[in-house]
Amino acid sequence: MKKIQRDGLLVELIDELTNYGSWCGETHIQKATYFLEAMMGIPLGFPYVLYKHGPFSFDLSDELASMRADALLEWEIKPEPYGNALKTTDVSAGLKARVPRTLARYRPAISFVAEKFGTRGVKDLEKISTALYVTNEAPGRGCEARARRITELKPHITLDEAKEAVSFVDEMFREAEPVIREIGGGET
Amino acid sequence: MGRDCSKKEVRGTAKKNNHEIRDPIYAFVHMDSSEREVLNSAPVQRLRHIHQLALTSLVYPGGTHRRFEHSLGVMELATRIYNAVLENGGTDSLDIDRRYDEIYYLRVLRMAALVHDIGHAPFSHASEDLFPGNCNHEAMTLRLIESDEMEKLWAMLKIQSEDVAKLALGRDHPKKKTFSNTEAILSEIITGAFGADRMDYLLRDSHHTGVAYGRFDHYRLIETLRVLPKTYEDRSKEPALGVEIGGLQSAEALLLARYFMFSQLYFHPVRRIYDIHLKEYLQAWLLGGRFPVDVTGHLNLTDNEVMAGIWRASRDPDLPGHGVAKRIMMRDHYRVLYTRNPDDVLKYREAGLAIYTAASAVFGEENLRHDRPKIPASQAAFPVLEPDGRIVSSLLKSDALRHIPEVAVDTVYIRPELLVAGRAWLNENRENIIESGSELEDTI
Repeated sequence: MKKIQRDGLLVELIDELTNYGSWCGETHIQKATYFLEAMMGIPLGFPYVLYKHGPFSFDLSDELASMRADALLEWEIKPEPYGNALKTTDVSAGLKARVPRTLARYRPAISFVAEKFGTRGVKDLEKISTALYVTNEAPGRGCEARARRITELKPHITLDEAKEAVSFVDEMFREAEPVIREIGGGET
Repeated sequence: MGRDCSKKEVRGTAKKNNHEIRDPIYAFVHMDSSEREVLNSAPVQRLRHIHQLALTSLVYPGGTHRRFEHSLGVMELATRIYNAVLENGGTDSLDIDRRYDEIYYLRVLRMAALVHDIGHAPFSHASEDLFPGNCNHEAMTLRLIESDEMEKLWAMLKIQSEDVAKLALGRDHPKKKTFSNTEAILSEIITGAFGADRMDYLLRDSHHTGVAYGRFDHYRLIETLRVLPKTYEDRSKEPALGVEIGGLQSAEALLLARYFMFSQLYFHPVRRIYDIHLKEYLQAWLLGGRFPVDVTGHLNLTDNEVMAGIWRASRDPDLPGHGVAKRIMMRDHYRVLYTRNPDDVLKYREAGLAIYTAASAVFGEENLRHDRPKIPASQAAFPVLEPDGRIVSSLLKSDALRHIPEVAVDTVYIRPELLVAGRAWLNENRENIIESGSELEDTI
């Protein structure tokens, strides 16, 4: 995927998250982008590590900074309890206009993830994305085993919270199936 | 660390265990005899022959310092940061609550800091692209940390190579492992926004090159560093390195120093074109145009061998890379034809690429070079501890941080003999090229 297409999709994601009620901090964008890659199969090409509180891509963080440098995104500082949000600009609307086919193909997946994540808090997103990481780490493992693996990797998450997160991810996978088929996830 | 003040030794009868090394930035760097074994290892000693800033001395003559002293400086600063963070408390998330762990992690941290750059090829970042396949300097660092020579040293120090590698490489660990809170924070003490690596290279590069923008009050900054949860993000408990409110100005100064050093020094256009010319020479000179990635081959290759090769090739037209070697030695580098302009970016983000492509069609690709490096984020957002105990975002507290630009580079160079013709051509065609460049094919 070309850089312009990838950045067009990121701009679309931020717009969609905002539309679905998210205040759109970097954590929201990080975790939602992770789902676009790891669940929906969009080949954005951001490598993730399981960091302090869930999957995190430093390359994505650098790319968001580069997009700010090029006036595609800007900071918006929200009052407590919200933090630093990123919002799109007029320039980013122009960018989207240049990649209509890419957006048309992947928009259903972006809307699907944005709708699921829009109203969720940061702590929820950390748990859910860790559950997806563990699910993809060894596909086929049961809920209990994955939940235990989560608490082993991230001791601040309780077993009950981990089970809830794994169930959420399993349900989301089921709901995502037709969308993944529609966009041809994983194919470039 | 490791000092035992309870035993008074009679001068001249006891072997000295603690050592001080003179340093122009911190006065002294401290280490004990066991750690000195690591310092004396072949991978660390090789850093005496790897320039910190590649061929920067062709632009800033003072910039001839090496990765060796930088590595010592990072070890010293990492220790100071670690001690300050522990003393300032708030480290529950680190699980460092037992004496054994505190000492173990300090040892690992210091050694990780000392070896964090041992995988660099000659001339450091300038030649990074010449590692074969997926290899890079981080992968080489990992390979060296796990080498027989270093494993013996880690065993002697009673630390695990895996822990050293995680902290030394942090986010760039080639195996993309998982990080606990402890490992993540400790690696950030070396490689993060307020990490020892960033602090040392700014201070040291500034000192040696004479580019004064790199200075900031690192004493004050380190004293105020804290591990703080990012509660301002929807009450998240994710820990991060932040500052007490009293350190906010020194944190601003560090981030401004980084911005100025990036724009004035690291991404100075003439410095960058020498990186490009150097890479061209190496491609001609190296066997197969790629660096060796076995431990022995890596250790045998330093800037010295490359510089000797450039010197010889510049005088002998029959040697590979003669043309570019002569260009480097005679300082006859390609000249700037186009640099990034914010107005152009608004019209077309890849304006430099469009100009490079169009100019190549007119003047020949061999006479043009394009530089559009990927630059890491400045990481200006971090937690700040207020006097009343509240934790807020740095961007909420600081207008300065909100407005520090991210550095971006997009430069096109042309062969010196074609500069006048190139500029005349660009003046005539610039707007059309940038406008037409924006019509990219959206193929999927």
